[in-house]
Amino acid sequence: MISIRALEKSFAGARGEVRALRGVSFEVGKGELFTLLGPSGCGKTTTLRCIAGLEQPWAGEILINERAVFNAADGTFVPPERRRIGMVFQSYAIWPHMTVAENVQYPLAGEASRKERSIKVDEILQRLGLGELADRLAPNLSGGQQQRVALARALVAKPQVLLLDEPLSNLDAKLREQMRFELKALHESLDITTVYVTHDQEEALALSDRIGLMHEGALLEVGTPADLYLRPAHRITADFLGTSNFVRARVENGGNQPWDEMVLASPLGRFVALRSSEWQPGAEAELFFRPENVELLGESAGDGLNRSSGIVERAIFLGNSSDLVIRCGDIAVRARTHPGRVPAVGRRIGFSVAAASCIVFPA
Amino acid sequence: MSATPTILANNVQIRRWSLARSFSIRALTLGLTIAVVSYIVLVPLFMLLYASVKSTDDKLPFESTVTTLANYAAVFTSPSTLPIFLNTLLFTAGSLAVGLPLAILIAWLLERTAIPARRWIATLILVPMTIPSLLSAIAWIQLLDPRIGLINVALRGLFSIDADAGPLDIYSLYGMCFVQGLRLVPSAYLMIAASFRAMDPSLEEQSAMAGRNIAQTTLRVTLPIMRPALLAALIYFIIVVIESFDIPGLLGFTARIRVLSTAIYWATHSEVGLPDYGLASALGTIILAAALLLMWLYQRLTAHQERFATITGKGYRPRQVRLGAWTAPAALFCLLYVLIAVLLPFLMLLWTSVQPFYAPPSAESLARASFEGYTNVWRDGSIVRALWNTTLLALVTSAATMVLAVLVSWFVVRRRGQGSGLAHYLATVSFLPQCVPSIVIGLALIFVYVRFPIPIYGTLWIIALAMTTRYLAYSSRATTAALMQVHGELEEASQMSGAPWTRTLRRITMPLLAPAMINVFLWVAVHAMQELSMALMLYNPDTAVVSTMIWSMWQNGKTADAAVLGVILILLSALLLLGGQAVSYLRRGSEA
Repeated sequence: MISIRALEKSFAGARGEVRALRGVSFEVGKGELFTLLGPSGCGKTTTLRCIAGLEQPWAGEILINERAVFNAADGTFVPPERRRIGMVFQSYAIWPHMTVAENVQYPLAGEASRKERSIKVDEILQRLGLGELADRLAPNLSGGQQQRVALARALVAKPQVLLLDEPLSNLDAKLREQMRFELKALHESLDITTVYVTHDQEEALALSDRIGLMHEGALLEVGTPADLYLRPAHRITADFLGTSNFVRARVENGGNQPWDEMVLASPLGRFVALRSSEWQPGAEAELFFRPENVELLGESAGDGLNRSSGIVERAIFLGNSSDLVIRCGDIAVRARTHPGRVPAVGRRIGFSVAAASCIVFPA
Repeated sequence: MSATPTILANNVQIRRWSLARSFSIRALTLGLTIAVVSYIVLVPLFMLLYASVKSTDDKLPFESTVTTLANYAAVFTSPSTLPIFLNTLLFTAGSLAVGLPLAILIAWLLERTAIPARRWIATLILVPMTIPSLLSAIAWIQLLDPRIGLINVALRGLFSIDADAGPLDIYSLYGMCFVQGLRLVPSAYLMIAASFRAMDPSLEEQSAMAGRNIAQTTLRVTLPIMRPALLAALIYFIIVVIESFDIPGLLGFTARIRVLSTAIYWATHSEVGLPDYGLASALGTIILAAALLLMWLYQRLTAHQERFATITGKGYRPRQVRLGAWTAPAALFCLLYVLIAVLLPFLMLLWTSVQPFYAPPSAESLARASFEGYTNVWRDGSIVRALWNTTLLALVTSAATMVLAVLVSWFVVRRRGQGSGLAHYLATVSFLPQCVPSIVIGLALIFVYVRFPIPIYGTLWIIALAMTTRYLAYSSRATTAALMQVHGELEEASQMSGAPWTRTLRRITMPLLAPAMINVFLWVAVHAMQELSMALMLYNPDTAVVSTMIWSMWQNGKTADAAVLGVILILLSALLLLGGQAVSYLRRGSEA
């Protein structure tokens, strides 16, 4: 549905050129919700604005519905107003001099008769629960209402693609969580191809069919939320999503295909871990596992692979879980446990991590 | 997607066509805006420079083929032009010495002390802006003419002075500085009060915590911090005084004191002999160079000031000085300024306008008072035409300026980043007229159009063009500031909704800019109505406007008629400004 091929773009920054996009390529399937995730300044919003047509890359190609809307080679550039894309901006950009109904009706100008227009507007307003606000002026809306109006306006003309630029970042935490579910439900019922930009990993994991992780202008890795979280191919992905333990290690032996098992020697002991696709033979290695995969054992772990022990240094109560810091010599291992099963600080404790939850990255 | 090849081909055709259309309209508008702005600003300046190095012994400057510096040599060696420089210097220094301390004191009283009725006083301080300089000068002549001036007559009676003239003389450098200085106060107050407001009050509070009293804090903290802002204001108002024409024109005419701006006028409107365009353009180039230099200094100072920007967005008011026993005198002082700068001159004009010939107020002259002057106005064809011309001029100038300003600021603000070279050029050239004195624009336009193929010389349009050029700087600054407040995503949302550029501009940008556009329209309209020097350089009997009419009535001794027209002009200006207030009040009401 959307094909992005080798986009390149740079901005004139304070200290020379800043390469905003470095050969970004990906495909979004029909009806898919694809999320561009990354820290601020990673190029995710620039990519979105290139799809919208609000920015022009200087190299690459963008196809929507198999039709080129941008092609640097032959100079094709379809302006944003001709791309039939709905977009929700980070600021919502609700026009303050118009009512809700006028805002939502705007994209229908010249498209249908007055009667048809008002039917379409009513329909989408009802759908988003805005029916009673139709005559309200934009400045008199709450954040959540503004967000819905922006959505209604983006959807009313039945666009082929929906672009969402950090649509939840201006809402408070409670409302954000609620809108997350609503967005997901809305997307499922409309079945509209959607590109979503966010820096919030929880949002990305909860909403997306697939996630593209961006880093310094490049698209690092694309996969389903589970793929990216459980089997990150890159250290940066592992680090960005959730919390991580990284331990320096040396590879003793193992397979040479991605996700083959390898044996590592680390200060924590010998560990069996999966080989990430990023790992190169001969490189200094790093062992990765997540706190929630650390299984607490008794006072001592005993001997064997994927086992170690240390002193409980700190325990932090988080409500639905507790975070532990286990001191193993120079290394502080983070673990997550049920808040009812927190061992006493200062106690020695053993732990194990399943091989399937350990990954080897190059250091 | 399943589409038959023919439909697809059609779609592509349509897309290409509309793509080309929507883009070319924007590109065309950008090209046109750049061309118009460059033309109206740069061509006159070029012609001025060109004329200043052409010999004018027996020809007009543009007919001469001889390139020479003789005009400049004449300016700097002739005994008749040398005093002009000294006079300009003294007039500028004197006016600022009167106006700036007054403005600083009033700004301090209103911003930093617990003065009563603050809002009322702050509004009243601005009222002098509705009275054109031309009419302040006329009113003060009636008040301080050495022989018949009301105040002089009263003083002679009060102190039993046995003379038929004096003790005060408005036709002097002192008189000019006094009237000009009073006129600077409202705009200087606005500028200085703004920098008081921009200052972080905690800097002053820190000084108080360190045990300093108010006077010490003011002298050792407040004023030093504000020094760059005050210096910038000083430079800005030097430019304002150097380019002022009306007051030195009227008062200096009788006093035979010429400054640069009036010297340019008299060089081209000599009472004896032919106009000396060579001399005028050399003087014009010199005054322009001075203004450019000062504006460059001002820009540097204010850019520096922005780096020290002290706007913190903290919502608390700075500590207010309690005035104690000085409360009433402070308030009275401000009211006294309003009385002297507005009420007295206005009442004087009003009095003169209802008298068939000038006489000081008395029971006898009161009995003679009549509004005949006001009814006679409508019977005089030339006055009616001047009123019509003024209306037309104000409308055309403000509409043209407003449209140009909006386009300039759109390209400056929204294209910053992409093609920023063009945006920067547009911003610079549109601001340039800020430092081109009105009289110089008038002069330069004579050079451009007297022989140019565009036949507007001698029409009202050349005056409108001059004013549009002059007021473009202020107007585009104002709309640029307003547009920067309009989030770019509001326009992008319209694009994403399928609206081409023109529709976005019409439905989104312009409505959101409406308050700024109305303000610009009214500001330009009021200024165009009151402006004298450009009109004076470019008018002819058919295109006389109210201001030139008042000027020539005054020259011909028709004081009462001049006063009648003056009162009408002031009322019209006040009406426009009140209308603007009402509009913005209603808009705010409807949105709340």
